[in-house]
Amino acid sequence: MLSFVGKRLGSLVVVLFFLTLLVFTLGKVADSDPVRTYVGVNASVEAVEAAREELGLDDPIPVQFASFVGGAVQGDFGVSLASKRPISDELSTRLPATLELAGWALTLTVLIGVSLASLYSRPGRIGAVLRFVFFSAASAPSFLIAMLSVLVFYKWLGGMLPAAGRSSYGPYDDGTGFYVIDGILHASPTYTWDAIQHLLLPALAASVGAGVALARVLADGISSSLSSPWARTARALGEREGTIVRRHALRNASSPALSLLAVQAGFMVSSLVVVEQVFSWNGLGSYLSSAIGVGDFPAIAAVCLILGAVYVVLNTLVDVALAAVDPRVRLS
Amino acid sequence: MADTTVLTVSDLTVTYRGRGRVVTAVSDVSLTIDAGRCLGLVGESGSGKSTIGAAVQGIIPADGVAEATGSIVIAGRELAPITDPAWTQVRGSDVTSVFQDPMRSLDPTMTIGRMLNRYTGSAEASVAALERVQIRRAGEVLKKYPHQLSGGMRQRVMIALALAPGPRLLIADEPTTALDVSVQAEVLGVLRESIEDAGCAVLFVTHDLGVARHMCDDIAVMKDGVVVEAGPAEDVIGRPSDPYTQRLMASRITLETDRSRPVGAPERAVVASMEDVLRGLDRPALDVTGAWSDGALTWEAFTGPTAAVGAASGHPEVRLVEHVTRASLAVNEVNKTYSTRARGRRVDNHVLKDVSFEIGYREAVALVGESGSGKSTLLRIAGGIETADTGTVDAQGVAGEGTQVVFQDAGASLTPWRTVEELLRERIEHTITGRGLSRAQMRAMALSTLELVGLDASVLAARPTQLSGGQQQRVAIARAVVVPPSVLLCDEPTSALDVSVACSVLNLINLLRHSLGISIMFVTHDLAAARLIADRVLVMTGGEIVETVPAERLAQDITTDYGRRLVDAVLA
Repeated sequence: MLSFVGKRLGSLVVVLFFLTLLVFTLGKVADSDPVRTYVGVNASVEAVEAAREELGLDDPIPVQFASFVGGAVQGDFGVSLASKRPISDELSTRLPATLELAGWALTLTVLIGVSLASLYSRPGRIGAVLRFVFFSAASAPSFLIAMLSVLVFYKWLGGMLPAAGRSSYGPYDDGTGFYVIDGILHASPTYTWDAIQHLLLPALAASVGAGVALARVLADGISSSLSSPWARTARALGEREGTIVRRHALRNASSPALSLLAVQAGFMVSSLVVVEQVFSWNGLGSYLSSAIGVGDFPAIAAVCLILGAVYVVLNTLVDVALAAVDPRVRLS
Repeated sequence: MADTTVLTVSDLTVTYRGRGRVVTAVSDVSLTIDAGRCLGLVGESGSGKSTIGAAVQGIIPADGVAEATGSIVIAGRELAPITDPAWTQVRGSDVTSVFQDPMRSLDPTMTIGRMLNRYTGSAEASVAALERVQIRRAGEVLKKYPHQLSGGMRQRVMIALALAPGPRLLIADEPTTALDVSVQAEVLGVLRESIEDAGCAVLFVTHDLGVARHMCDDIAVMKDGVVVEAGPAEDVIGRPSDPYTQRLMASRITLETDRSRPVGAPERAVVASMEDVLRGLDRPALDVTGAWSDGALTWEAFTGPTAAVGAASGHPEVRLVEHVTRASLAVNEVNKTYSTRARGRRVDNHVLKDVSFEIGYREAVALVGESGSGKSTLLRIAGGIETADTGTVDAQGVAGEGTQVVFQDAGASLTPWRTVEELLRERIEHTITGRGLSRAQMRAMALSTLELVGLDASVLAARPTQLSGGQQQRVAIARAVVVPPSVLLCDEPTSALDVSVACSVLNLINLLRHSLGISIMFVTHDLAAARLIADRVLVMTGGEIVETVPAERLAQDITTDYGRRLVDAVLA
């Protein structure tokens, strides 16, 4: 098991390296001059040269790449061309915001998936209606669900849930940036509950589609597990259906569900960019869309790298979880 | 005595409802088994034997699809079939079972120990349970997962699991059918000893009369949901009174079966093919059925000149070949190695080691050996499906076109969305014979070949899934011989079939061999079938041909230890 994890970590480093290379190359071949973005259109020739040197763009390409990688490893992504501030400073509040939202969305995905999976197999009308409703929900794009949920929970239900921002109170000065955790650390139930309320709608919008897909795969897995020869063996040995589901079927059905979750997590990262816009969530997504608007390439590269890294790490975690669940993966 | 009776089934009828039809799987069956006795329930697919096996352990789902009447009494407790809520108490305590497929009957995500400890109570008791089924180093086996064990080991684990709760009744549903023959003998031995120790009653469900005779005290023969004959094993096997049992017995092939004649009772489809062949050969129409029943029908009657090759392929021009010295298949010093990576190191598996052999014109050669002996790899290399690392394969032959393969699982080897006609046409189009033929000509070829294998025009438009297992195998054979190959490669073509169907497929292969003059390479682990088809039997083990024996006196002439083990594994 340890060597398996080691191998996975090794390939993770390789993938991240190539991701960095890709992002860097894109920046070089993109048809925009970063210096112009930095100094403005009307700057003098001298100012342009000075800025070029300041940004390190005089160096040979390999040297530029090396310093880019070196910086990225330490969390230094250079200076934003638009705001002239270090990108890492700007991201320090936004990264926790996105990670917190992503974490909640993933948790909700699993919750929705597991609870729907048990409803899915309901025979008769109720099951059919539920399947229809959730199918529609899954096929709607996340921004539509986001706007609908704002309409329902904020407008029609009289502000039952907040529809914008992360908190009614603002951040703690010495906080981690994860508001729910901050609230718990400061022993403030009001603050914590408020942060959770703010999280619910965006997390729901980002997780409905993934959750329904997960439910489907999980339900299929469980029902095929229950008709498998080893389930029959368990039955013949006197196990009750509930025991068979808990002891045997869930574990066997979770392999395909986990694989799907890894893919869905990737989609979720990109759908967060949109969801954050709708809910005025000050995270990486809204940062990215404003950076794209002004051609702030170092900022775009930084966000792409971080989102990519999150995706790769999630996938690695799922691979390890798969190996833990299915001995055939790690022992053959 | 009533108190020793463990199982009493009275007037059990089970019906399945589906697609608006009601199918009776079991009808008015009554059985009893006493403690310490083994009752064999013998029958072919669809006879209802497995339904009874499932009914007496209460694992037929009570979802309204299946309905049952009658009663089942287990260890003095009367239960209504299927619906009785008390089944959950009986199952796993009074009744347990061993199933057919040891590959999939154990949860792949659990260690043997975790599964077994639940029913034995402790790791020590589990070790003892495994030792009772003759598993050595039981402590290590407890830490393993099912996929790390061989088929025979898994089935021993199944037996240990089934006997762990100390059941009064054990259901064994085809427990060795999926195993290699020599492993089968071992596992049957283990099962027999274990149940003698446990003293429980056994319901042994099987399609194999040989296995039933070996294992059971009493035998009940089933056909179409009805018990047609029941009694002590020796009486039923030795002096069968029911015509169906007699037919089943006649379909059994042993190492003594006469090789020069068709086996089993005359069968309509095969008889029709034979008459067809005789007509094609312009032989005086003899009464095939009569001659077959009298034992006067020999394969020689169907041996024609090479002309038959032309006739079957739709080409009337005759090529007479008197003496052929060129081999149809020549395999010369073939080596094959499969490499896998384990823990970063390369592990080489030398599957074939300098294998050489020839199959002459019109000769049939069988290749026997257990799983992993390399026989199937050799067949795939001979058929050009895989390539050898070193060495040569020459399948040019004198007559016929190349090689064709008939696989064990005919259902899987036929493309499911194609009709039979399309499947046959596909082969014709890829041969020299088929070049430039019109649709109608190809259709005529397909039809005459289908008739040759005992099918008719009605299957032309059918898709493989609409056919029975026996029909699928016939279509697979028809596809292989529609343009006769120089060598027909058969990879265990009968091991997935019922006894009587297997018997007729073997007859068909023999008929085609004699009438079309094709050479045959027959890969199997069943010595009796090998002997029936082949002139010579090659015994393979560990990637090498260790022995070549003439088929006629196989049982007497085979000398290697390994060969003798295979002989002993054929249950007489």
